[in-house]
Amino acid sequence: MSTFDATTLVYVFQIIIGGLLVGVGVHFVPVGGAPAAMAQATGVGTGTVQLATGSGLTGLISAGLMMSVAPDNMLLIVMSGAVGAMIMINVTMLVGNWSYVYAVGVPPVSGKVDYDPITKDPQPPYIAPGTVGHGVPTVSYVSGTIGGLMGGAGGSLIYYALMNINGISGLSAFFAIGIFVVNAVIASYNIQGTIEGFHDPKFKRLPKAIQSCFVATLIIGIFAVLIHGGV
Amino acid sequence: MSVAAGGGESKIDKTKLTMYGVGGGILGMYLAHVLNMLTGTGYFSFLAGLGAIAAVVMGADAVRRVCAYGIGTGVPSIGMMAMGMGLVAAMFGLAIAGVAGPIIGVAIAMGFGYLMGILANKVIKMNIPVMEEVLMSLGAAGAIVILSLSVVISGEINYLDMLNDVVFTGYIAIVFIAGALAILQPFNANLGPDETQDRTLVLAISTGALGMFAAGIGSLITVGVGGGVLTMLIAAAIWLKAFLWFFKLVKRDSAGVVGTGLLPEGGL
Repeated sequence: MSTFDATTLVYVFQIIIGGLLVGVGVHFVPVGGAPAAMAQATGVGTGTVQLATGSGLTGLISAGLMMSVAPDNMLLIVMSGAVGAMIMINVTMLVGNWSYVYAVGVPPVSGKVDYDPITKDPQPPYIAPGTVGHGVPTVSYVSGTIGGLMGGAGGSLIYYALMNINGISGLSAFFAIGIFVVNAVIASYNIQGTIEGFHDPKFKRLPKAIQSCFVATLIIGIFAVLIHGGV
Repeated sequence: MSVAAGGGESKIDKTKLTMYGVGGGILGMYLAHVLNMLTGTGYFSFLAGLGAIAAVVMGADAVRRVCAYGIGTGVPSIGMMAMGMGLVAAMFGLAIAGVAGPIIGVAIAMGFGYLMGILANKVIKMNIPVMEEVLMSLGAAGAIVILSLSVVISGEINYLDMLNDVVFTGYIAIVFIAGALAILQPFNANLGPDETQDRTLVLAISTGALGMFAAGIGSLITVGVGGGVLTMLIAAAIWLKAFLWFFKLVKRDSAGVVGTGLLPEGGL
């Protein structure tokens, strides 16, 4: 077992920040769940965990790439992870929008606000009767990009902290995914599975997710930093 | 709680399933470890795979109990969470306690699960009465599945061997995803108002066998061709049996199964 000293506390702190970033990031990602898959609700048509894990994994790959080049530069590693996750989530939303617009034939529109907070376009006239929005409108797209940034940065921060402790990329990556998934699921329980982005009224539930993710990451993080690399 | 996913009554008691899942999982791992050590071969790795199937059945039952309340995020989320908790707990147990690691890992995973249940019910206010107990079962199931499939690949319970055989080779990714899918897929595929417990659990046996088969492929290189092929053959036999059984139960539960033949000429 590795010793528990001041450096370890710093790593636990980094893991907690990472976990909180993941939990908060999930609230920004427009997830519509099954209704969105049928173009009857705003957001990408899949579950929070799939989107979060997808962008988190891409973030880890890009963070790992940066770590192999600059192993000591935390800022670069975290930024690289964030950019990877942002690319992943942006591509998902963009291609999703293509199929909503060109295949299903619906305009991307938000069901939660009357005017898009960014473009100021009116929303209600474009919502098909009986649905609560379609696709990924501009405000959700921007929100999703912020979510990818936070999720990717959080995931790579956890990865960076664990790599410094055990030095095994496979172990660190999967612990990062483990901590990532737990936080993403807790956060998605908080929004009951679907959210449009930061303009959604459910976004106000964020403090509860922060509390839960803090406690969960603290406990799991303490166990994770005690695992040595087999030296 | 957006969608109540349904779920019929339970014919098999959850306590019994938890007992068989935890007991069978841990027993399988240790039997594989001891017999492999005594004989100096890798032929008994398949016993750990059988333990993994027992734990998968227990996990699938826990999933169906909690998802019947409609957790709003889809069934996969809770299966991934089980593996997330299970992975950290399992590796922690192995790293600090060596051969006794699996037991400690499973206990810690149950602790994680209980904590997550409290957070979900008290802080997030999901108000699902079974949440704490189900997440405890799921944490244990996740940890046992990860450990058992790792023992199939490494052949014995030893942290350094597992690091070399499972983590460095990258098989940890397969163990993680195959285990998560094995636990979450049975209820995800069967959910609805006409869901029956035996059909879900029989599908869990078949998905667990697929996980065991995947671990068997991994063990071809690490424990040797003999042990690996034996694990794969047993897994394939269990999968075939369970899948035919599942198909029979599907026909039992469906309104009617009729052969319509091919489309007639010009039917398109």
